[in-house]
Amino acid sequence: MKGATIRVTLAVAGLITVAMPGRSQVTYDRILKAAEEPQNWLTYSGDYKSWRYSKLDQINTSNAGNLALQWAFQSADLGQFETTPLVIDGVLYGTGQDNRAFAVDARTGRAIWRYQRRLPDKVQACCGMVNRGFAALGENLFMATLDGHVLALDMKTGNVIWDVEAADYRQAYVFTVAPLLVKDKIIVGVAGGEYGVRGFIDAYYADSGKRAWRFYTVPGPGEPGHETWAGDSWKTGGAPAWITGSYDPELNLIYWPTGNPSPSNNGAERGGDNLYSNSMLALDADTGKLKWHYQFTPHDLHDYDSTQIPVLLDAPWHGQPRKLLLHANRNGFLYVLDRTNGKFLSATPFFPRLNWAKEIGLDGRPVVMPGSDPTSEGTRTCPGALGATNWFSPSYSPQTGLLYVAAAEECDVFTNAPQKYHEGHDFLGSVYVPATGEKAWGALRAFDPFTGEKKWEFKYFTPPNGGCLSTAGGVVFAGDSDGNFVALDARSGKDLWHIQVGAAIYSSPMTYALDGRQYVVIPAGGTLFAFALP
Amino acid sequence: MVTSLAIRFIMWVGSVYLVTCATLALGQETEIKNPLTGDPSAIKEGSSLFRANCSPCHGLNAGGGGRGPDLRGGLWVHGASDAAVFRTISQGVPGTEMPANPFEDSEVWALVAYLRSISAVTKTPVAGDVAEGERFFFGKGACGKCHMVKGRGGRLGPDLTRVGAARSVAYLTESIREPDKDLSLAMSDPNNHYGIPAEYDTVTAVTREGKRVIGVAKNEDAFSLQLLGQDEKLHLFLKKDLREVIHERRSLMPAYTESRLNSQELQNLLAYLTSLRGE
Repeated sequence: MKGATIRVTLAVAGLITVAMPGRSQVTYDRILKAAEEPQNWLTYSGDYKSWRYSKLDQINTSNAGNLALQWAFQSADLGQFETTPLVIDGVLYGTGQDNRAFAVDARTGRAIWRYQRRLPDKVQACCGMVNRGFAALGENLFMATLDGHVLALDMKTGNVIWDVEAADYRQAYVFTVAPLLVKDKIIVGVAGGEYGVRGFIDAYYADSGKRAWRFYTVPGPGEPGHETWAGDSWKTGGAPAWITGSYDPELNLIYWPTGNPSPSNNGAERGGDNLYSNSMLALDADTGKLKWHYQFTPHDLHDYDSTQIPVLLDAPWHGQPRKLLLHANRNGFLYVLDRTNGKFLSATPFFPRLNWAKEIGLDGRPVVMPGSDPTSEGTRTCPGALGATNWFSPSYSPQTGLLYVAAAEECDVFTNAPQKYHEGHDFLGSVYVPATGEKAWGALRAFDPFTGEKKWEFKYFTPPNGGCLSTAGGVVFAGDSDGNFVALDARSGKDLWHIQVGAAIYSSPMTYALDGRQYVVIPAGGTLFAFALP
Repeated sequence: MVTSLAIRFIMWVGSVYLVTCATLALGQETEIKNPLTGDPSAIKEGSSLFRANCSPCHGLNAGGGGRGPDLRGGLWVHGASDAAVFRTISQGVPGTEMPANPFEDSEVWALVAYLRSISAVTKTPVAGDVAEGERFFFGKGACGKCHMVKGRGGRLGPDLTRVGAARSVAYLTESIREPDKDLSLAMSDPNNHYGIPAEYDTVTAVTREGKRVIGVAKNEDAFSLQLLGQDEKLHLFLKKDLREVIHERRSLMPAYTESRLNSQELQNLLAYLTSLRGE
């Protein structure tokens, strides 16, 4: 049965009436203008700018207190349910743990089909058998699997349309990312930075599954940047690319962030900056050619993956209109870059106790604090290994002009140790432990993205693993690691409503509308919860 | 329900099968020796593997952590032979928090070599009277008011049924004399958020009326607090009803200094505690 697929069709496709007949075709034009049809949710981050903002305003600051559960859908057992579902014309499509996927009636939560690509033995996923969601085009959904495959599924039935192997899971190449659809291609990035993979970003033609291009995030011999790796360390250099990027159609550039170099806590064998780990990459959408890169944390020793969502914003910068890229980075700085050329514009710390770097210099390089490297005995460093923030989504609201970021307040003691590379095995170069006697906590914070000034924060008791959504109703929705799904006033951070969903939230909320009602969805444990006004 | 019973039956049959296999394996494994014993590079690799994989529970240098025992004492509760330690690492220990681990054989042997290199060769019994220690524990010392041993005792502090297998004499002595010095740290495990970490810090809930309830937090979040009070009652608060929640990084346990516990009593108590191995 290895590699076999199971599919349970729970309803006959022909009997399902979608809310807007004749519109089930997802065209590229619709995705380009995704923000203009807020009743749907067409891409992982809501649109190409990755604002995770919705124009829906039915749920607002005065009525959010009345939110009530409308339906729940159970995907699997308790775990880390990281998907952001898509909603397309009345049907919700999501992915679950262990290579699961499903389509449900967005009005009732009733399953239309379920799919699972059965996992082979010994799949190595550092941080859970998770998946973050689908991309869509035409009548198909696209999913990247834990065992290194990329699939196209039929929207109506869950049937596999095509299936390609992108990389060998036995070497710890896994996918957890929600693909990004750009024109006729779907873009995916690989995970495996804990296992010494050589990271890459791939593009596949949506119609055939044929690979259009691959960009290795660790340059090979003869390629620019190869000289930033000592000896053969590039071969196991990591720099995975496991979070969904953003896209600027005018510049035809994909912005895709990368993760830590391997081994993460020991840099002895990988002297140099280790490009393109912990970087923002701007790739030509058609060819995958690198237009520019900016490295946030050169020669990282603290697992400061830069796999956070790039937020694209056109706004004046010191009086001049500019195409900006905002990035709240795991290393504790909030960056502003010029996304036409990668020029560094500013970096403001958003983690008050940050102690690994003094600042980011005018040249865009961190001024690293002496004595912050991991040692055999351990060095207390802030932020800790899970970062000042992480993969979960930020949100930008054009209504408030604020950037919302789920932040962790934790310092760790980092140690290092020599480690031999064994294919498909952990390649960490040691470990971190929480700093003794310091209570870790977290917060949802609102920032002025241009100055980095904190406008408000809503405190979480423990560091978060969930992101946020902002809406035209003036509400920010977010989930914490203690299982609370909250609605906050986007201007003040005031708690408008909260509910305990019974499991840590490892996802970012999304919203859609149907029959004139706005729904807000949060996955937690193994269950999707959909809330609306009564 | 039928399905659930059926699954249980299959699991029961499966576990009988596993026990049988383990018993058979046990018979055969007495001769298996670690090929890497004393090998310096294996010990180094084992140390590195230990840090990355085992230290979150057993502590950075195997001295015991929030969930796992001190492994330096030479106790080998689940079997002392090379083969038994190999099995403990690779298959885990049912009924405990020790999981199975998918290491290569060579990696397990490297871990065994590392553990042998840091553990005491023989276990010296603590000089003291076990029965006297037990009398002190449940009598004059009042330890049993807060600690449970084999179902007898209080609930506020950690259960000590297996403490002799988990902690060194030095650690126990420190915990008795200076309980605030090394409070257990709640695990910050990003992949295990369903296990509620055991914390024994002092938490005080102050109600709007000014009433103070002191205890240990069984759980807490942004909106609520589940407090096990010194009265051993569960106090379930909404934070909006509280004036303040005070967290102190200190133990509720008093320090058992010389005036409370003389040297002989300490020896007896240590003899009793180290005899507790869950057997």
